[in-house]
Amino acid sequence: MDKTTHFGYKQVAESEKAAKVAEVFHSVAAQYDVMNDLMSAGLHRLWKRFAVAQAGLRPGMKVLDVAGGTADLTRLFLKEVGETGTVLLTDINFSMLREGRDRMLNEGKTPPTVQCDGERLPFPDNYFDCVSVAFGLRNMTHKDQALAEMNRVLKPGGRLLVLEFSKVWKPLEPAYDLYSFKLLPLMGKLVANDAGSYQYLAESIRMHPGQEELKAMMETAGFAKVSFHNLTAGVVALHKGFKV
Amino acid sequence: MIPEALFERSLNHLLRQSPGATEALRRHAGSSVRFDLTLAQFDCRIADDGCFSEAVVDIPDAVIRPTPALLARLPFFGRDAWRFAEYSGDPALLATLDRVFKQLNWDVEADLAPLVGDIAAHRLHTMGRGALAGIAHTASALGHNASEYLVEEAELMARGVDVARFNHEVDLLADGVARLDARLRLLEALRPLQEAQARTV
Repeated sequence: MDKTTHFGYKQVAESEKAAKVAEVFHSVAAQYDVMNDLMSAGLHRLWKRFAVAQAGLRPGMKVLDVAGGTADLTRLFLKEVGETGTVLLTDINFSMLREGRDRMLNEGKTPPTVQCDGERLPFPDNYFDCVSVAFGLRNMTHKDQALAEMNRVLKPGGRLLVLEFSKVWKPLEPAYDLYSFKLLPLMGKLVANDAGSYQYLAESIRMHPGQEELKAMMETAGFAKVSFHNLTAGVVALHKGFKV
Repeated sequence: MIPEALFERSLNHLLRQSPGATEALRRHAGSSVRFDLTLAQFDCRIADDGCFSEAVVDIPDAVIRPTPALLARLPFFGRDAWRFAEYSGDPALLATLDRVFKQLNWDVEADLAPLVGDIAAHRLHTMGRGALAGIAHTASALGHNASEYLVEEAELMARGVDVARFNHEVDLLADGVARLDARLRLLEALRPLQEAQARTV
């Protein structure tokens, strides 16, 4: 029998999760940026800028943006690596990737764009100076395998940045739960006409490993000097690790 | 996480602003350097482009440890204060680092220009430099006045020339005491001989 995994609070067969996640993102792609701004009150822009500031990028470096979707991080990375550097925008979901690619084209930039699975990256070993995954690891079926793949494609000394929802500061939990399970689906229904996807968002955040668990997972995947920084009282955490 | 990233970005920014700095460090690409700031340690590796990159380092090729003397002098002597840092490790790498750090120079005007424009950046920089010079002058004048008060008016401290005269007198006294001591020792040594001569007579 097929192994099961979580899809929000539901248990589904591992083989079905990717398709279900794909459905969610096909559904929200067009309104993704508007909803991000609305749900986080614009804070997601600061979180992403903070992540890029931790990347230690310099002109000429090669960066892989896994699950890059609408290219928020890619745009910021491009500014750091300059014309001599490369930023590869990837996502498993074509609808999201198309939004990101079109947005970049509209800005007159043409970074290489690849539709691929974060758990099976089609890139050579020891190739990138930096790999990032922002709000994407949560949706992957085999997170350990994805982290191992990111480790493989990084150059020795390269760094991985994982920006992801995490465990919020305990005293804020009741308010955060109220916001996530009541307001978020309502906003999703009113703005994107899709309450279900935003219900999944809230549930998938609760099922995602907390700060310490993710740190341990990164260390198991071979990263060293792993550290994390809580943003907005732990609503989001940025994990950083180095390939040795 | 934040201090490391800030340190790395700031240092690399300064390196890029200082002509020849990254070129000099490029010759040591791959070498590791530890900045041991007592409360925090920053481990870096010199990248192919001559910039520092945060890294995982077990045994660094060079360690730079700022001393209290450096920290006390840094605000007043700037780059010259770096000679008070403790350096250990590969001598060739340390010589390069020492040379590079001494020539680091923060071009404040260049950093302000994209934010406020060239003219405002120049004026702000000139104003800031003037303010700093004013503060340094005020501090020096206050120090001078305080020392004058303590020496001349309150007479809580001695003047340099008085201290020198006193030291000279102490030296003369010490010399006199030493001579007297030597004379007494000589007399003590001669006394048994004189007594023996007296008994014979």
